[in-house]
This record gives sequence, structure tokens and C-alpha cells, in this order.
Amino acid sequence: MTTQGTQHVLSGLRVLDFTRALAGPTCSRMLAEMGADVIKVESAPKGDLGRNFSVFRNKRSLFHVQHNRGKKSLCVNLRDPRGMALVTELIQHVDIVVENFKPGVMADMGLSYEQLKELKPDIILCSISALGQTGPLAHKPGYDYIAQAYSGVTSMIGEEDDAPYIPLVGMGDVSTGVHGALAVLAALRHRDNTGRGQHLDIALLDVYYHYHEVNVHTPRATEGAIKPTRVGRHMTYACPSGVFRGNGGYLVIMAIFHHWPDFCKAIERPELIDDPQYSTDQARLKRRDEVTTMIEDWLQTFPDVESAVAHLESFHVPVAPVLSVAETLDYPHLRERGTVTTINDPIHGDLDVPGFPLKFSEFPDELPLHAPTLGQHNEEVLTSYLGRSVEEVQQLRAAGVVVEENR
Amino acid sequence: MPHGMEHILSDLRVLDFTRALAGPSCTRMMAEMGADVIKVESAPRGDMVRGISVFEKERSLYFIQQNLGKKSLCVNIRDPKALAIIKELVAQMDVVVENFKPGVIAQMGLGYEELKKIKPDIILCSISALGQKGPLSSKPGYDYIAQAYSGVTSMIGDPDEAPYLPGVGMGDVSTGVHGALAVVSALRYRDRTGEGQHLDIGLLDVYYHYHEVNVHQYSGTEGKIRPIRAGRHLSYVCPAGVFRAKSGSVVIMAFLHHWKDLCAAMDKPELVEHERYSNDVLRLENRDEVVKIIEDWLQETFPDAQSAVDHMEKFGVPVAPVLSVAETTQHPHLRERGTVRTINDPLVGEFDIPGMPLRFSRFPDDLPLTAPTLGQHNKEILTEYLQRSPEEVQQLREAGVLFEKNS
Repeated sequence: MTTQGTQHVLSGLRVLDFTRALAGPTCSRMLAEMGADVIKVESAPKGDLGRNFSVFRNKRSLFHVQHNRGKKSLCVNLRDPRGMALVTELIQHVDIVVENFKPGVMADMGLSYEQLKELKPDIILCSISALGQTGPLAHKPGYDYIAQAYSGVTSMIGEEDDAPYIPLVGMGDVSTGVHGALAVLAALRHRDNTGRGQHLDIALLDVYYHYHEVNVHTPRATEGAIKPTRVGRHMTYACPSGVFRGNGGYLVIMAIFHHWPDFCKAIERPELIDDPQYSTDQARLKRRDEVTTMIEDWLQTFPDVESAVAHLESFHVPVAPVLSVAETLDYPHLRERGTVTTINDPIHGDLDVPGFPLKFSEFPDELPLHAPTLGQHNEEVLTSYLGRSVEEVQQLRAAGVVVEENR
Repeated sequence: MPHGMEHILSDLRVLDFTRALAGPSCTRMMAEMGADVIKVESAPRGDMVRGISVFEKERSLYFIQQNLGKKSLCVNIRDPKALAIIKELVAQMDVVVENFKPGVIAQMGLGYEELKKIKPDIILCSISALGQKGPLSSKPGYDYIAQAYSGVTSMIGDPDEAPYLPGVGMGDVSTGVHGALAVVSALRYRDRTGEGQHLDIGLLDVYYHYHEVNVHQYSGTEGKIRPIRAGRHLSYVCPAGVFRAKSGSVVIMAFLHHWKDLCAAMDKPELVEHERYSNDVLRLENRDEVVKIIEDWLQETFPDAQSAVDHMEKFGVPVAPVLSVAETTQHPHLRERGTVRTINDPLVGEFDIPGMPLRFSRFPDDLPLTAPTLGQHNKEILTEYLQRSPEEVQQLREAGVLFEKNS
């Protein structure tokens, strides 16, 4: 059974979660969203540093709520040997351990993969880090944008002759959590079939690097003739494709390949379909500035972005408005699909967050999950997993080994 | 197993109708984990990406990167005999993956209900730009179309100018990984219950999933915070972002407790408790000044980005050089970890691609996989899976039901 009483694809799975911040918590949240029983071990007295980020209401961080839905909180003093003993005992009751400390910290805590294996021979340990468990950079402190810079992805955003931009979305952290969850699931299936666990090494650097669909194979294969770099608002290998200025906003238009004739009809320039100066992507790339100006001038004939999008769509041209985050929240398609979802937090009330991105036909699109308050499940975990009495839990609480706070 | 090496999904059989990037990333992840993947390609051209990016010996490097480890079955999908062969194969599969426009797979007679009649516990993974349902689902979709609708595009660039597009396939690749996670979860569920299901994975949902703060900040402040692109720096802590060095750029994350380390590195201890800079809130208010102090120091002190990085690292400041893609392919850490790997294609020889981003302690980091030539495995699949004789295969070839080409 899941934490909150609804079956999903991973119901029955038990996860001990040492993660903090974003990449690790995304991994264990994905497991919780699929019905796993996730115990989040938080270090007393402050808990996950994500409880101190972003926007607060009633002293509760919305960042924490979004990224820790469906988890149980066990808040213990990890510097107290009695606290460590509780954590060690719990290892024997779980299938999976997930952590995203700096490489080496788990071993310093006495919780290396070898030590975990002694406690539970078929344990699966998923270690998530910025730059990986191995290699010369492994020991460095890591954040999302540090890994992004080392991956070459940052170098691909902005104008060639100026410093690059960073995207203000946690695309490395979140996707790394998903990569980690995939590795966990594959390892779990292997354990079910063979009885063997293993250690997984998942890094933001590798995940960002994984995004390069063309950039890595082109330079060496062309002996350096192609040096991938940022080129502004348009793609390098097809045209027109990219961000265009409309009236009062921006559009993404992809009028490449076989879409060019549709586009020429939409802008009432049918003579351009077979004009050799424009008829192929290669020809159009050579005169990209001219093509872009032509399109942006034409877009100004519409009163707004929406009407330009509607017109282009009626000619089957791939097109989209560049929505602001505020606009996404009320966009009918995103609402209907649950791409954006409203959750009801016990402390905050209603709050919009991104929806669960995997849809299973046999299960609800979304379980009714809550993020725990700090140490909310101390008593439940210690009594139901470890057979402690309520009195014993009270003693641990009085001794400061376990801590609770309503935030 | 197609390649004689065990990996974690070696018992799995996948029928793969995917084209372009998001779908093929999903099935490539499974092939990289040892699954037996049969890529069904439509005669005579096959996957459209056999015709894009850089070519050697008429073979697309793009195709190679996204299709490692798959078998190619190239059939004339409009011929009823070909459709019959495909249906016969479905009966032997665990998983079917497709990324046609929503509705197309059903029109082909291979919708989830039809597949279930052939194989009751089949898992069908449908990948699309905007999802299988909702008002936008019928629109033609590319990565950047979904990105624009997700609000992610609106978060990249300067607030008073048109946004930039990142020159990496981060939506497509990560959607493939999200799909693979859903498949492996569904597979474990099938193993336990005997029930298959239909999975609906959209790029839009995946891009939206990346919003780690933007959605809850807008929603949780009743619109007081309107998330928008903010150039080269994070909006909720400071200093954090891209800084200009004398040649090249560096990412510096010197917020919270890292500020005092940066002040020490700059030999400006007076700034630690300075009334305008002593915490993140103050530094955000005075961000232009903070950025100028740091950039002036970088440009006056260091001949290049790397020497600035080396210096700051000694003081424990989280920092990275913004590497170009060309630089990443030579970087010792990325090489040692296998973040970048060199593959050897039978036709085009050696070149670099991103490494397999999941590392399992029980399996090699990297299987020796190759991408198939068009229809390379026609004969193998028809004889080994469907028990056709070589003569029958030859007849199908002559009738134009099967097609082969060495590129």
C-alpha cells in the first residue's frame, strides 16, 4: 500500500531517501508519485535545505512542498549514535536507498554500498551527484549550472559574440532525478529476477551531456570544420526554425523541410515554394537574416501573437506562442492534460505545481500526495517498521534523537 | 540479447516504430540496457533522420547516435503482407513504442486495443509533442513547439528582448528517458500481475516538469512573482550565473555560505559583512554592482577563464568554466567517466557521441552497440522470430514487402 492509500505501479516498494535540494528529491518523488513508500531521512534540527528555499507561506517552503510530495519524514539527529542506529536498522527494511551527498560522504557516515550490502545483501543504492562518483572533478561542490557549464550545454545558449545565458528552469536536476528513477527501476527488476542488488552512479553532468543530439558527433566527424556554438534564436541545420518577433510577443515557427510550401501559402507567397533561392533548407540557411526579416515583417500584420498562430495553424504550419509561465497556468490544454496541476497542501491550501509527467492507463494520472512536515512520520516509521513502542519514541524525542516541527 | 553481452534488460523484446529523436531516445536507452529492439522502418527511406545532419559514406551520424544497438526491419508498411508480419511480431513482444502524431498508430490498425487482442499483456508507450489528449494534441509537434507552450522558452534570455533557443535536444532526449522509466515501471507491474497498459508521454509535460520554482512561485504568491527570463543570473540568490572573464565565461555560484569564500578568493574580506552585500537579499537588490565587482576582478586578474576557475576552487567556491562542445570532447573528467565516448561504426569509423548516462555496478558502462543499416536484420528477424525460410524472405524482398540498403 502507498503512503496515502492509493494503488499505483510501484505500490509495495520501500525507499530510504537521504536526498536534499532538487536532483535527489526529484528521483524519490518520482518513485512516490508511482506509489512507492518513501521515507525521507532529514537531519535534525533543520531538515532538508530545500525547506529554506523559494517562497514561504505559514513558514512552509513551497519548494519543499513541490519536491517532496508523498514522502514520509523521519527527522533524526544523525550525529547522535542512537540516531544513526535507527537509520541503520531501517536499511534492513527497504528495497532501495537514494542519496545525493557529495561523493564520499555516505562512506564517511558508515553507509557506503559495501556497508549497506552487509545490512541488506540485495540492496540497491542510487547515488546522484553533480559531476559523478568517479573522475578528476568528482570531489568538487556541484550545482545544476556547474554541471551544465562543464557539459557544453551553457555554451549553446545565446549569441555567439557575447556571454551565454542560463535557462531559469531546473532542467538538469529534474531530468537527473528521472534518469535515476529509471536506473532504480531497471535494477529492481533485475533484483526481482536474480536476487542481486547493485550501486547506481547518476550525474547531472552525464545527463546534460546526454542532451547533445548533434553537437558532439559533428565536430570530430567533420575534423573540426563544424564547431558547435550558440547562434541566437534559430536552429543551425534547418530554416526557418526558431523564435520570431510577433506583435506584442513571440512565436516559435518550424517551417522547415516539407512544411515550407504550407508556410508559403500561409504568407501568400506561393512563388517562393519552388524559387531555387528559397526552396530548400540549405538555400534558406544561406539567407537566413532575409528570411527572418520577411517573416517578422509579415507577423506585424497581425494584431497579436494569438491571431498569427491561429492563421499559421490553419495552414498546418508547426507553430506555438511563447507562453509565459503565468500564461501556462490557465492554458486549457495544459490544464486538461494535468501538465499543470493544483495540489492542496494541508498547511498552504491550493497551489499550482507541474503535474506528474508519466501517464499510465491502468492508474490514475495523479495520486493525492502531500509533502510531510518535518519529522511528521517519526512515530509511524519507528513503530510500524522498527517495532518501537510509543513510549520508546517519546524517550527518543525527549532525548533530541528525533525531532518534529509543523512546517 | 542482440550483442552477446548481458545487461540489465537482456530478456526484453521491444518493437520500435519511432522516428526522429524523442522516440528513438526511448528505445535506444532500452537497447543500451541490453534489450532486443526491432526498429520497424518504412520502405524505401526508413527513419527520416537517415537524411539529416552530417554524412559519411551516405550514412547519417545523427541516425547512428540515436539508433545504437537496434535491429532494422524495413518493410513497405502500406502492403497488407507487411502489416501481417508486424502483427505476427507483436505477439512475441513485451513492449511497443511509437511516436507518430496521436491517432496514426490506431489508423494503421495497431492501436492499443488492437495490440491487446494480439498480445493481452502488451505495454504500448506512445510518445508525442503535446500528448495523446487535450485540445492541442492533434497539432504537429517539434521539440521547440512543446518548449514554447511549456513556458520554458520564456525563461531564457533578457527580459526585454526575444528569448533564445538552447541549441540542444533537451526536451526530446529527456522525454525518451521519461518514456523508458514509464516502460520499465509498467514492465515490473506486468511481471507481478500479468497486466499490460498504455503509456502517454508528452514533451510538453516533460518540459513543464523542469519548472522547479516558477510554477509554485507564481501560484503561491497570487501572481506577485511573475517568472520571466532574467539574463545570465538566477533570480532568487546572488551571485549565481554566468560571468565574463578575459577570454571565455565562468559559472560562479557564490550565494549563501559561499559568498565569504568568494570574498576571500577576491581578497576583498571587507565585502563579507558589507551593508550592501552581506546576504542574498541585499546582493539581489544590488546585483548589477555585485556582477561588476566580480567581472572587473576576473578581467583584471586572470588571463583566461580556466586560471580564474583554478584560483576560486582553492577557496572552495562552486565554479566551472563554460566549456565549448569541442572542449568537452577533450576534457579528462568527461573522458574518464565516459560522459563522452568514441564509437566505431562499421561503415563510417570512429567518432564521438554522448555516453550512456546510467551506470550500473553489475554491468559494463557501455555495451559495444552499432546502429543498423536500413533493413539489415530483415532476414534474421523473419527467419528467427517468424520461422520463414530464406526462400520466403527472398520472395518478400522481390515483392517489395521487404527493403534493404547498405547505409
